[in-house]
Amino acid sequence: MEANRKRKKKRTSPQSFIIDLLIWAFLIVAAAYIFAPFVFMFTASLMPATDIMKMPYRWIPDGFYWQNYWHGIRGNDGSFVYLRNIFNSLIVASTVTATTAFLSAFTGFGLAKYKFRGRHIVFMMILATLMIPFEVIMIPLYLIIMKLGFQDSYLGLISPFIVSAFGIFLMRQYYLSFPDAMLDAARIDGASEPMIFMRIVLPNSIPAIATLAVLTFKSQWDNLLWPLLVAQTEEMKTIPLYIVRFTAEKHTDEGAMMAVAAIASIPMLILFLKLSKYFLGGAVVFTGKKG
Amino acid sequence: MGLRLIPVSLFQVKRDMRKRLFSRGIEHKKARWGWIFIIPSLVFFSLFSFYPILNALYTSLFKKKLLSLASPQFVGWDNYTYLLRSPDFWNSIRATVVFTLGTFVPILVFSLLFALFIMSRKRFQKFFQMAYYSPAVLSSVVVAAIWLLMLDPRGLANQWVNFLFDTPGIDHKWLADSTMVQISTMLVYFWKYVGYFTIIFLVGLGSIPNSIHEAARIDGANGWTDFWYITLPLLKPTTVLVSIMSMLQCLKTFSTQYLFTQGGAPLEPINVITLNLYNTTIRDRSIGLASAMSIILFCMMLFFTWLQFKTFKSEEVDY
Repeated sequence: MEANRKRKKKRTSPQSFIIDLLIWAFLIVAAAYIFAPFVFMFTASLMPATDIMKMPYRWIPDGFYWQNYWHGIRGNDGSFVYLRNIFNSLIVASTVTATTAFLSAFTGFGLAKYKFRGRHIVFMMILATLMIPFEVIMIPLYLIIMKLGFQDSYLGLISPFIVSAFGIFLMRQYYLSFPDAMLDAARIDGASEPMIFMRIVLPNSIPAIATLAVLTFKSQWDNLLWPLLVAQTEEMKTIPLYIVRFTAEKHTDEGAMMAVAAIASIPMLILFLKLSKYFLGGAVVFTGKKG
Repeated sequence: MGLRLIPVSLFQVKRDMRKRLFSRGIEHKKARWGWIFIIPSLVFFSLFSFYPILNALYTSLFKKKLLSLASPQFVGWDNYTYLLRSPDFWNSIRATVVFTLGTFVPILVFSLLFALFIMSRKRFQKFFQMAYYSPAVLSSVVVAAIWLLMLDPRGLANQWVNFLFDTPGIDHKWLADSTMVQISTMLVYFWKYVGYFTIIFLVGLGSIPNSIHEAARIDGANGWTDFWYITLPLLKPTTVLVSIMSMLQCLKTFSTQYLFTQGGAPLEPINVITLNLYNTTIRDRSIGLASAMSIILFCMMLFFTWLQFKTFKSEEVDY
């Protein structure tokens, strides 16, 4: 991207200077618009509720009103169920990420590197499920989960997502260009196929797997609809459900609401800052172009 | 001569056969491994994808209640005809379509604009990319909760709008008025996703070779004509991709509307299909009806995707 950047010839006509300035202004105003809600969330989470709704909003909190965080975590009933919900979100998101990353790579590799009858059909069938919105299969899935006795459990929250069609697609595309020579060399050295996969293929596909993992983790952290159906007791709920309930019940305790939201966001924001390459890369995997 | 050739060719054939047998052995073995590699996922997809899809179609033809012991009753197309006669469902279709159009068109326009402007900068490209993308990292629920407060009558949205239009003290009823609450949901979604699609446009822009722009410059194109005749046509595949992806996202919107109604906003104007579907499942427990709804949603998604392909008449672009 850097290399393809348009190289402008040096022109210093006043007109182009003004246009240049306007573009900067536009970008900065847009960035301010993007950042404002973030800043609002963090500052409001440190203000007492009476300050948040004061008419000219003060962007700098007077002090640190940590009580919001205390109230947010404690919840209405003082049960501290939010901690459990954070734990649930972590468990569900990381398990799903691990299984999706591994199984997608596993299956993607099989589809890309072994020639056998029916592999095209299998691939097309898996790809076709990408077209189906989750809302369509949600109810039958719920019935299956109930039949299996998985409702209100980690198994119920996790099992519909242990591998994704998108992940298989992504990994297969990646493995199509994986050098065959490397695999054959390992075969000649007597490595079995699973060993080849574990020892050679997996370590060499870290970038693709990281992208997939980041995307999966993000989507699970965000998942609302499915846990709404499956998690019935407060103990089995995930972060988004807690926020919904908190908002519905404690609509007036704005500071605590923002504290809860901030707690939910901080892990993702840290992840984003650390792994921004994979986040940004993940946004473009559908284009099939290298950024 | 013939006599001499025969043993040679026989030998050849034998070697060929041996080679083929041997290689077929490897192919065979490889094929077996191929199946072993895909079988875990295949089992998963059969249970959690293929079967549910068929089951959704099947259930949509039955009058069936969740958690009810009564056996489902076959009603044929009744669920569909009921839905298509129900003003409540038509309201959901209206809400979904209005939301989709009102969200994905601005997203398309602004993400292209952002991408072009970022691309034209020599510095801070990375910063702006990350800045604009950052809202997409937050959970939809968190985003909706932040905006719920900002759109409060005493909140920031009123302060900003009143400042911009110099209308002090007016409450714009962001969450109370039926038109405004729709605009509010669009604002939230726009904020969350505009950066995501900006990144996709940036990749599209980056893949247009510089030489084409330079050739156009030599032929006398200025910035505007370069954009209109070079960049935009070459960007068409990306545009199609972004518009279809953002549209499908919008059609599936749920979290924002759900949290807004939980936070006290009126249900009716923002009762999008997914929300209606959820309420029909959980509150009314009519899963036959809900399945029919989901199938209609799916058909709408297919239809709009087809429509976009048709309007863009996407031809392959090579450069």
